Amino acid sequence: MKFDPKEFVSIGGIDRREFLAWGGIMSAALLAACNSRGPKSAEKLLRYAERKNRVVERALFRHTSMDAVRPSAYDARNKLPSYFISRTVPVWDESVRGKWALEVSGLVANPMRLTLEDLQRLPRVSERVNHYCVEGWTAVETWTGCRFSDLAKLARVSPEAHYVDFQSFDDDYHESWDLESAMHGQTVVAYGLDGKMLEPAHGAPARVYSPVKLGYKNTKYLTKIVFMPKMNGGYWSDMGYEWYGGT
Amino acid sequence: MVGSGLRIFNAYPAFARRGELFCCYPFEHKPIPAWLTFGGWLGGARNWHFAMMWVLVVNGLVYLAFVYLHGEWRDLVPRKGDIRDSWQMVKFYAFKRKDHPHQGKHNALQKAAYFLLPVAGAFAVATGIAIWKPVQLSLLTDLFGGYVWARYWHFVAMLVIVILSVIHVFMVFAVDPYSIPAMITGNYDERNSPEARNARPFYHLFPRRQSAQSPPEAT
Repeated sequence: MKFDPKEFVSIGGIDRREFLAWGGIMSAALLAACNSRGPKSAEKLLRYAERKNRVVERALFRHTSMDAVRPSAYDARNKLPSYFISRTVPVWDESVRGKWALEVSGLVANPMRLTLEDLQRLPRVSERVNHYCVEGWTAVETWTGCRFSDLAKLARVSPEAHYVDFQSFDDDYHESWDLESAMHGQTVVAYGLDGKMLEPAHGAPARVYSPVKLGYKNTKYLTKIVFMPKMNGGYWSDMGYEWYGGT
Repeated sequence: MVGSGLRIFNAYPAFARRGELFCCYPFEHKPIPAWLTFGGWLGGARNWHFAMMWVLVVNGLVYLAFVYLHGEWRDLVPRKGDIRDSWQMVKFYAFKRKDHPHQGKHNALQKAAYFLLPVAGAFAVATGIAIWKPVQLSLLTDLFGGYVWARYWHFVAMLVIVILSVIHVFMVFAVDPYSIPAMITGNYDERNSPEARNARPFYHLFPRRQSAQSPPEAT
């Protein structure tokens, strides 16, 4: 078969050499972009999107939406990873810091200091729920503690409080939440895991736990619960993870 | 979306719930090569993913609206005989059939790909929402078999989209490069169509001489 190569070499006014050169430049640019954080100028746009997503996520939030474990799921038990930001497992040393107590303060009519025994005297709930990690894994565990909403009732939270900050003795780790998520029925201040008292690896003496938030929002090694009029960021949220971090 | 998704996946490159094994992914705990990923780190990739998802959704809706309003969906919906026609295309590409099967706007295999792509896209969006909000939208997550499976289906949807796109781009260059300028400017010259050239990948890339086969154009 005969053909005229000229009919092919020019497509849309670009000849083959130009096409290859541009193709090369574009591919190099694409490759250079790989595993990068993307252009610096995009940061503003990404932060804008995160703020807007927050509005969407808060609109989707329902107190009646409950996490449920799949019937076929097994408990993670000792396969539950342990995370903290200190160099070694944070342990509350009573001989140095005195007896541990959880401070409930901020915009409340009745600020409290609750010892572990005080917490255990409050109505006790055990919930077998999913743990949703920001990394994408999940783990099924049974958490025992008191409902956050019970604590809030005792502290008589002011109507001006819209956020709550969970602070810890794991270095300066803290994460602040929207009040709705904290008041969700599955949000607990947990002191027990899998029927045993919480171990230092998972946040002893007490931690906040809720399946409505991603793992990093659930502050371990609790020291303070502070009710606030405004949000107060958080350890990972300030690093660039979503502040809302809801499921 | 794919690059940032793979970077997010690399934070836990497996599907199994902690303390379990996963049946259906052969590369559990093997990360995706970094050069295929985008976002630099988990938080950065998540921010890109959750920002660009809106662009994907809006883009998809605009596409669907366009295809619907312009009636071009008629060239894409599956019809009786498509499977038979697809088989004929396979036979043609495998040199088991001499002449290019007669086609409409797209050949049957191409049509299947163009129909599947938006379906896979919608599936990716639905499974994505399911793993974004597994508690608040648990009905959707349950529909896909729970969080672990929804995450798996989200990955599969991505694979389907990537594979279809790679084949599509390959075939554009290998079978129908004449469509490249037409994608931007329109005015596709049917005399250069793969059917007119009887083109297989890298075969008969150049158009037949006008005198050889096609009748002179009416003036």
